[in-house]
Amino acid sequence: MTEVFPLGFPPATCFYLVLLVATLVLHMVFMHYVLAGAAYLAFGRFMGPKRCAVCGWQAILIDWLPFATGLAITAGVAPLLFVQILYQREFYTANLLLSHRWMAILPVLIVCFYLLYVQKSAWITRRAWFWRIPVAGVVFAGFAFIAFSWTENHLLSLDAAAWPELYGSGSFRYTSSGLLPRLGIWFFAAFTTLAVELAWQGRLLGMKLVQPPPGVAVMGLSAVRRLSLTATSGGLGVLACGTAYAWTLPGETTRALTGPLGGAWLVAAVAGLAVQLAAWAWVAVQNRFPLPLLITATAGCLVSLTSGVVLREVVRVSTVDIKALAVAHAEAATIGGLPVFLLFAAVNAAAIVWCIRTAARAV
Amino acid sequence: MNPLEYYPIVDLGPVMKGMVIGGLGIFHVFLAQFAIGGGMLLCYLQWLHMQGKCPLARRFADGYFKALVLVSFVLGAVTGVAMWFTSIQISPRTIGVMVHEFHWVWATEWSFFCLEVVAGYLFYRYGPRLADRARMQLLLLYACASWMSLFWINGILSWQLTPGGWLESRSVWDGFFNPGFLPSLIFRTVSAAAIASLAACVLINLVGGFTRDQRESLVAICARPLVLMLVMPLLGAWYLGTMPPASRSWATGGSVPMTMFLTMAVGSSMLIGLYAVVGILRQRLFVNGATSLLLLALAFVATAGGEFVREGVRKPFTIREYLYSNAITRDGIAVLRERGSITDDPYPLRDEAAYPAEQLVVGAKVFRAQCSVCHTLEGINAVVDLAATWSLDQRRLNIAQLQRTKPFMPPFAGTAEELESLVQLIGWIEAGRPAAWQESGDAAVLNQIRQWIAEAGTSPGHERMSAELVAAEVREATGSPAPRRSMKVEP
Repeated sequence: MTEVFPLGFPPATCFYLVLLVATLVLHMVFMHYVLAGAAYLAFGRFMGPKRCAVCGWQAILIDWLPFATGLAITAGVAPLLFVQILYQREFYTANLLLSHRWMAILPVLIVCFYLLYVQKSAWITRRAWFWRIPVAGVVFAGFAFIAFSWTENHLLSLDAAAWPELYGSGSFRYTSSGLLPRLGIWFFAAFTTLAVELAWQGRLLGMKLVQPPPGVAVMGLSAVRRLSLTATSGGLGVLACGTAYAWTLPGETTRALTGPLGGAWLVAAVAGLAVQLAAWAWVAVQNRFPLPLLITATAGCLVSLTSGVVLREVVRVSTVDIKALAVAHAEAATIGGLPVFLLFAAVNAAAIVWCIRTAARAV
Repeated sequence: MNPLEYYPIVDLGPVMKGMVIGGLGIFHVFLAQFAIGGGMLLCYLQWLHMQGKCPLARRFADGYFKALVLVSFVLGAVTGVAMWFTSIQISPRTIGVMVHEFHWVWATEWSFFCLEVVAGYLFYRYGPRLADRARMQLLLLYACASWMSLFWINGILSWQLTPGGWLESRSVWDGFFNPGFLPSLIFRTVSAAAIASLAACVLINLVGGFTRDQRESLVAICARPLVLMLVMPLLGAWYLGTMPPASRSWATGGSVPMTMFLTMAVGSSMLIGLYAVVGILRQRLFVNGATSLLLLALAFVATAGGEFVREGVRKPFTIREYLYSNAITRDGIAVLRERGSITDDPYPLRDEAAYPAEQLVVGAKVFRAQCSVCHTLEGINAVVDLAATWSLDQRRLNIAQLQRTKPFMPPFAGTAEELESLVQLIGWIEAGRPAAWQESGDAAVLNQIRQWIAEAGTSPGHERMSAELVAAEVREATGSPAPRRSMKVEP
């Protein structure tokens, strides 16, 4: 490929690739909040009640994680739809090969979802602190398992040569040298997204960012610095895992990532990450959240998140036979219904904005 | 279009795959209809409150919505995704065609789903603090969005049984607004209203803080939508009327399980309707927790029966007249009879070493490709049991002319050698899987199988059945005698 992603592909393929990337970014925004939020809470619970009392972020997470999980699931439906248009055979085959092991994510998701409601219930607050640790731990372990399974599924979908042998072996597990580093990239990236989202939530909810609540002693880092540390650790983790993942990629894929197809996006991803790290370092120094810095960190996060999702697709299109799939994409593009979707998507988006404004005004 | 796409087929051992997708589907439909009907009921309650006709409505609505969120937003949403994943596990080709043909319809449904989740969660979170007008607006948006998600998915599901003009035009809207669309939509809307009413009766008894008189008054109000069940027989008859004649005949006596499940659905619905209209609404009987739970369980039975029939009467197709249950296209039968159904299958058997002869390996692959979506080898609906009383030649004949053996079976889609391999596999398993097995390769036998396959033709069995029905009607009208049955039919 000599053109930047998504250009250079047939129009239908390009169209569905853009839709997949756009909807996957939307899903990631919520999914990162859920995954990193669950990890943050599990860690917070483990650190004990005194530290928890001074951490407003944990209170926000407990309150909002169930809704965020609902949004993550809902937002996940659209990329799930477009992946079936773009890479039907690959996606279905990986699902089938992992079979029961893959399907286990569903009961795990249900358990985690309900435990999120248990976490914010009055029932658990009446119990000893000890009980909050396993609840938060199970929630995090569950979401981590789901993240692991998605990574495993995705990598298997790219490894067509392994399909018959894996099926014949009767195993429902797929191992690959890229599995853990790739999982690490998304896991650590989730913390950078979470930090930005929590910062906005804290601001919109009027959270006291520097001073602890009245009557509570100052302990450890301030809320601002704790968030800065969260984002910085996440960013550095992404860089480390990204480097490790690059080592596992075949030469052709590396050339696609660094060449015309993905090179610009790789630069954008690294630049976005660098901007975030710089913004968070400055936030830590100042120990406060000036709006321009928050906007800068948000912009960096969105750039690196979008670029990361694009790079994910660059790896995929350089692995599968995208030209052979283009015929099916062109066929799909001839099927009617797009204007109806666009109309209702616009109307429903407006209705969603209206709902949020109505609730915000009333509250 | 490929006659058959090869995927690594999932083996659920003794469990029939249809039971998995069917069980999950019934559960999901029940939850989804609870959410849809719940939205409508909450709007009604809010309206009553705003009119001053039910002072308890607002308080109860808040409690009801919490249950709705906990049940529907969690289990309903996740089982919705699970339906997609399970469909991939059971029949990737079917869900693939559905996604391909209706992806914009699905995307449109998704946009309503987003609105439903946001409006619903905001009501759950801020509803008790909102003014009546804002509450009503949020509830209306929630109810509209959830009903619209039914509107869109109903078009896709009803298309599977009655694809209508889509078969000719391949137009998405011909497929969406198919003959079964409207009766199915109205039927499901009434079902949703009924389920939500019954769930409300359960909750009224479970939620604390209401006196007996208050609960009685709330039950009387929440049960009002159950009146709609009076029109269900008409809607059911309308829906049955839109079905293809063969499907209708299976639900109305042609297939014992289908007829039994239809009777179960109709019977349960009638019991609920009668109790609601006569007991709750006319005689103002108080419905306690146990009774309301029993009624809700009956509604689940009705839903299960209805969904089982809807899924079952599509046989032998998964998309009527287009894709057979085993994911082979209607036009692909002839191609696979020439090429073989497993010739291009890249996947080995997981237990290949356990078969003492290559012919049995071929047989197992043929079973996997053509039969395993509905049958097991030795578990539920096992081919070995079904063929247990057949002689060897009878097995060959019955499988070669499968669509005549049972009209809800697809035609056999392979070579004579593949068919013989399948017959040998059945015999080998029946014999207790001996360590040695003599392969059969008699040319005369294979020629006989080829002849039987050719005689049966490539059309589905119900076409012959319909032709016979039409011929019988003509004979009845003209008074001419019925001809003797013959094995020979047009190809």
